[in-house]
Amino acid sequence: MRRTLPLTITFLAGLVMFAQFFVPHKLSQDALTYMTDWMRIIGAFALVLGIGSLIQRHTGRIRQRHPDAAFSAVALLCFLGMVVLGIGWKTEEGSPFDWGFTYVFMPLDATMFSVLAFFMASAAYRTFRARTPEATLLLVASLALMFGRIPLQRALDPHLAGVAEWIMTWPATAAKRGILLGVALGSMAMSLRLLLGIERSHLGTGKE
Amino acid sequence: MAVAAVAAAWGQPAEAPGSLQVPRELVEAGFPVQLPPPPADLDPAAPAAVVALPDTEDDSGAGVKVFWFPPQQTPPGMKLGGYRLYRSTDGGLRWRALPQPEKYAADAACKIQVVGGHWPWKAYELRVAALYIPTGTPEKNWGLQDRRRPKRVEGEWVTAREVLSRVAGPYNTRPYAKWFDGKKTNLLVTAVLYCVAVLWFLRHARRGREMYLRPIPGIEAVDDAIGRATEMGKPILYVSGLDSIDSVSTIASMIVLGRVARRTAEYDTPLLVPCRDPLVMAAEREIVKEAHLAVGKPEAFDPETIFYVTDSQFGYVAAVDGMMMRERPAANFFMGYFYAESLILAETGAATGAIQIAGTDADTQIPFFVTACDYCLMGEELYAASAYLAREPILLAQLKAQDVGKVAIAAAIWLGTTAATLGVLGTLLMAAQKLTPATAWGGKLHWFSALMDKFLALFATQ
Repeated sequence: MRRTLPLTITFLAGLVMFAQFFVPHKLSQDALTYMTDWMRIIGAFALVLGIGSLIQRHTGRIRQRHPDAAFSAVALLCFLGMVVLGIGWKTEEGSPFDWGFTYVFMPLDATMFSVLAFFMASAAYRTFRARTPEATLLLVASLALMFGRIPLQRALDPHLAGVAEWIMTWPATAAKRGILLGVALGSMAMSLRLLLGIERSHLGTGKE
Repeated sequence: MAVAAVAAAWGQPAEAPGSLQVPRELVEAGFPVQLPPPPADLDPAAPAAVVALPDTEDDSGAGVKVFWFPPQQTPPGMKLGGYRLYRSTDGGLRWRALPQPEKYAADAACKIQVVGGHWPWKAYELRVAALYIPTGTPEKNWGLQDRRRPKRVEGEWVTAREVLSRVAGPYNTRPYAKWFDGKKTNLLVTAVLYCVAVLWFLRHARRGREMYLRPIPGIEAVDDAIGRATEMGKPILYVSGLDSIDSVSTIASMIVLGRVARRTAEYDTPLLVPCRDPLVMAAEREIVKEAHLAVGKPEAFDPETIFYVTDSQFGYVAAVDGMMMRERPAANFFMGYFYAESLILAETGAATGAIQIAGTDADTQIPFFVTACDYCLMGEELYAASAYLAREPILLAQLKAQDVGKVAIAAAIWLGTTAATLGVLGTLLMAAQKLTPATAWGGKLHWFSALMDKFLALFATQ
C-alpha cells in the first residue's frame, strides 16, 4: 500500500494531465487551473518544512558550539529580523522590510551575480588551451566570438561581428537543438517510466 | 453571408473597391482582402462593420469573436476612451450591453474581442459604440454608467459621448467548447507512437536479450568519486539543481542521489545535500533514509545532512560556496537544472580541489559545467544515468526506445527539408519557365508544390 498508492495516484494524475493538453473544453482548463492552484498551496505548506529545517539546523549548530556557529547566528538573526519587520510594519514600499530587501538583499544578490564575470574569466583562462585540435578550434571560435561582441570590435575588424553572429546562428544553434531534441525524448521516456511505476526509487522505497 | 451582412449594414454593394484591410480570420471565413469603404452618410466617429464569425476553432468555447473596424475620425476636443458592445434579441427594440473588454486583439485596421457570458439560441443583432471622452481625462475613470450623464473631473463637469455603429446582423453564432483540439493531432500521434516504441522495447528487454550501451565517462566516474572521498575521509556534496520537484531533471537527480546515498551509506562517507526547495528536501530525506535502510545501517542516517537553505537563487549559491570552502568536500555532484549560478558553483568547487561530476539538461549551462567540472552528463545522459547505474534490462530498454525516437526525428527532419526544398524548386521552376497551373507541366508542378506544402503542414504545431 505504501508503494502502490503513490504509484496509482501518479499514474492517474499523469494520465489526466496528458489528456488535458489535448482537450480545449472549459472543464479541462478549469482542471488545469485547479491542479496548478493546489500545487501552489502544497508548495506554500512545504515552506513550513523548509523553515523548520532551517531553524533546527542553525539552532543545533549554535547549541553545539560548532566552529561556524557565528554564521548560523547571523542567518537566524536576519531571518527572524525580516519576519518581525514584515509582520510588524508590513511589506509595502517604504516599510523597513522593503528597505531591508532593497538595500541589503538586492545588493548582495547582485554582488553574487557579478562574481560570475570573474569566474568566467578564470574558467576561460584555465580551459582555452590549444592542446588538441578540438581544443584549438574551441579556442579560435571563443576568441572570434568574444572579440566580435565587444564594443571595440569595429575598431579591430568590422567583419568580426559577422563571424560571431554566424557562429551563434549556425553551429551553436544546431548543437543546442540537438541537445534539446535529446532532452525532449529523454524527458518523455523518463516521464513514461515514472507514470508506469517502472522507476520508483524517487519514492524512497529502497528498491532499485 | 457575413460579407453580405456587412455590405447591407453599409448600404454598399459588396464588390465595391475599398481600402479597409481585413484580418486573416475574416479572409479565411470568406471575406475579401479589402472591404468596401464605409458609406458617405455613416458618422465618421462611429465604428464600422461589426461581424460575429461562426465558431469553428478548437477552443474552450470561451465566447464569440466579434470584429469591428475603428472610426475614421475622432470628434474635436475628445479622444477614444474605449468601445461598448450591445446586443439585441428582439429586432433592435432593446439593447443590452455585453461584458466589457479589457484589451483588444487589434491591428491598425480591425478590433477583435472574444465576448464571453451567455449567448442566446435565437438570432441577435449587434452594435458597437465608440466611447469618446474629453482629451486630458484618464480612461479608467469612465464606466458604462458615465456614457450619458455629466461627470465631474478635476473640478469641471464633462460629458462622454457614445457614437453607435449601424445595426449588424442578424447572427446566430454561439460559442461551442470542443473536446479535442484538432490542431494537436500530430502531437498526439507522435506521443502515442513513441510510447508504443518504449513499451515494445520493454517487452523485448523482459525476454533477457543483451543490449549494448555506449560508455559514459561521467557515470562510470561516480564510484571513483565516492571512493576518493571515502579514502580522504572528506564529505561528498550533492546539489540536486535549483528547480522544484515537478521538474523531470530534479527527479532524475533524486534517482542518482539514491544510488550515491547507497554507496556512501555502505562506506560511511558523510553526505551533504543542501536543498533549495522544501519539497525536494523532504523527498531526498526519504531517499537517503531508505538507502541507509537498504544497506542495513539505519542508525547511521542523519536527517540534518539533507537540509533546506533558501529559495533565493544567489543566496543558495552563496551558502553552498561557503560550505565548499569550509567543509572541503572531496567530491561534488551537480545534478539537475541550473541557471546562471552553475559556473559559480563549479569554479568554487574546482578551487577546493574536489572531483566534480555535473549533469544537467539546461543547454545554456552545459558549456560552463564542461569547462569547470571533471565530468559532465549532457542533456539526456542525466536521464539515462539511473538506467546506467542500475543496469536493469527494463530501464536499458527505455534508452533503446529513445534512440529509435532520435532516428525517427532525424528521418523526419531529412524528409521535411527535402520536401521544403523540392516545393520551393517547383515554384521557382514554374516562375522561370513562365508556366501557369492551367498548362500541363505547370499543373503538375503546382500540384507537386501543393503536395509538399501539405506534407510539411503535417508537422506544424500551434
